[in-house]
Amino acid sequence: MVGFVVRRVAALVAVLLAVTGLAFGAMNVLGDPLFNVVGFIASVDCDAVAAGEVDDISGQTAGGRGDCEVIAEARREHHLDRALPIRYGYWLGDIVRGDLGTSFKNEMPVREVIGEKLPKSVLLMVVAQVIAVGLAVPWAVAAAYRAHRPFDRASTVGTFGLVAIPSFALGVILFYLFVVRWQIFSSRYDDTDLWSRLRSMVLPGLTLGLPAAAVYMRLLRTDLLTTLQEDFVLMARAKGMSDQWVMFRHVLRPSLFSLVTVFGLSTAGMIGGSLVVEQIFSIPGLGRALVEAVIRDDFPIVLGGVVVVATGFVVVNFAVDLLYTLIDPRVRADG
Amino acid sequence: MAAGTGSRMSFFTRICAGWLIVIVLGAIFADLIPGLKDPNYQGFLFGDGATNERPSWNHLMGTDNNSRDILARIVYGARVSLVVSMTAVVMGSVFGGFFGALVGFVRGKTDATIMAAVDVILAFPGLVLLLTVVTLLGRRDLMVIAAVVGFLSIPPYTRVARATALAVSRREFVMAARAIGTRKRTILFREIIPNCLPTLMAFALVNAAVIILLEGALAFLGLSVEPPTASWGNMVNAARVDLTINVWPAIWPSLALVFTVYSLNNVGDHLRRSKAVRSAAL
Repeated sequence: MVGFVVRRVAALVAVLLAVTGLAFGAMNVLGDPLFNVVGFIASVDCDAVAAGEVDDISGQTAGGRGDCEVIAEARREHHLDRALPIRYGYWLGDIVRGDLGTSFKNEMPVREVIGEKLPKSVLLMVVAQVIAVGLAVPWAVAAAYRAHRPFDRASTVGTFGLVAIPSFALGVILFYLFVVRWQIFSSRYDDTDLWSRLRSMVLPGLTLGLPAAAVYMRLLRTDLLTTLQEDFVLMARAKGMSDQWVMFRHVLRPSLFSLVTVFGLSTAGMIGGSLVVEQIFSIPGLGRALVEAVIRDDFPIVLGGVVVVATGFVVVNFAVDLLYTLIDPRVRADG
Repeated sequence: MAAGTGSRMSFFTRICAGWLIVIVLGAIFADLIPGLKDPNYQGFLFGDGATNERPSWNHLMGTDNNSRDILARIVYGARVSLVVSMTAVVMGSVFGGFFGALVGFVRGKTDATIMAAVDVILAFPGLVLLLTVVTLLGRRDLMVIAAVVGFLSIPPYTRVARATALAVSRREFVMAARAIGTRKRTILFREIIPNCLPTLMAFALVNAAVIILLEGALAFLGLSVEPPTASWGNMVNAARVDLTINVWPAIWPSLALVFTVYSLNNVGDHLRRSKAVRSAAL
């Protein structure tokens, strides 16, 4: 068991290195690394400034440091004259020490920005997953209990429909119904205490959670139907146990495995969805910060956000993988 | 559709397939549809109609907040979804299909290397990756978006093709071909790849649905094709501002998306079942 965990952790570290390497590499190969560090002044031609042919933009403002000084310092600090793999090494070292650079917009450290935004996005994910699982389990049990009957058939159509609704359309429609039309919820994000925060998360949570609930429900229903054909279910029924008891005590638990696996994978969809949902419901979370940074070309925030999001996703799947093996000893024996 | 070999299509699946055909034909021949308005004509600038009009005989779906005809914008907006998803399907199935079938057949180090790269790319949530690459490229016309989406579609197809090729490689006709000394390249092109195609086709439909949703989300964030070009995602986004006045400009493109994605999933599901194959990834 210990060897198994060690091997998994080694694989996790390798994937994380590759993922951060890809993000960093893309930033430096597809974009101009100097621009990604200092912003628009990267276009100043320092040779011409030194020769006195053109004016230095910020050097002209009172007390401002010359652009070329800033550029030279950035080159030194970020080792821009070194090869890409070496720069990645330096950058990784900074990240491990918690330094993600500073935002172009307000010079705030990226770490602080992410530290402030991330908890809200995580809370949104948690609410969404709670809604999804809370809906999916009873729904799947009810559908599997009377499989191929009208309720089950209607559920099939309903789940396919839910999966087909784009998160932004579902979000806008929920926003219209509950905020504009019936005015049950406020359009503002209320951050005063945990209760009002949770209340603000209901609609966004539903937007992310409903499609996920549909996916979970389909999987769980299929697994429930398979388990219902097992001998031990027949045995339990023959002993005269009630249907509810058999369903929840004997059938549900061994049917939960696929759900657990997909739980991790669906996080990716939710992270993507949160970019959109935070926009619709004005939640000042990481997704919104990322989109705004993209629009403003605020590369330090984009890179930091992408690294955090990808790392989070990889770690969640790693945890699910581990959890899965703990629940089901068969996987451990094979793996 | 090409599902003739399997079970018959249900009535409902036929409707779905029909809707897809209507969307594709409408997008291709949008310029030739009689009576269809210009999608960028802003009537109110010329004293011809108002903004956010309700549906009427003149504008079957009403007008948006720039008083443009919504029906026309939906028909033309389908072009964006169509071009992006078709590019993804073509690039994914050609490159991803080939790489996947190749590494699933030859195995060994090539397999380990390519699949490691695939795993790393798939470790990013799709929308986040798409967003980042589009930003870095700094250009947002249809061709760039389609190329990026197409490129990012290669990994999932590779995974599906590899899983199928692994299964096909163990079949008796591949053994037979090996036994009589057929060259490996011939086996790959004559036996492995043709037998991966049905699975890839079913996957392509389901993946096209995913891609359409992805492009929709990107457009909704205002990061896909630039206005005034209509796309279903940016139509919903534009309508969001005036929800209090008129909700229909948001509803129509959403419905178009839901029907299209539902139909792709339904027809893809039918293909998958009728070929009795299981998509192994995603």
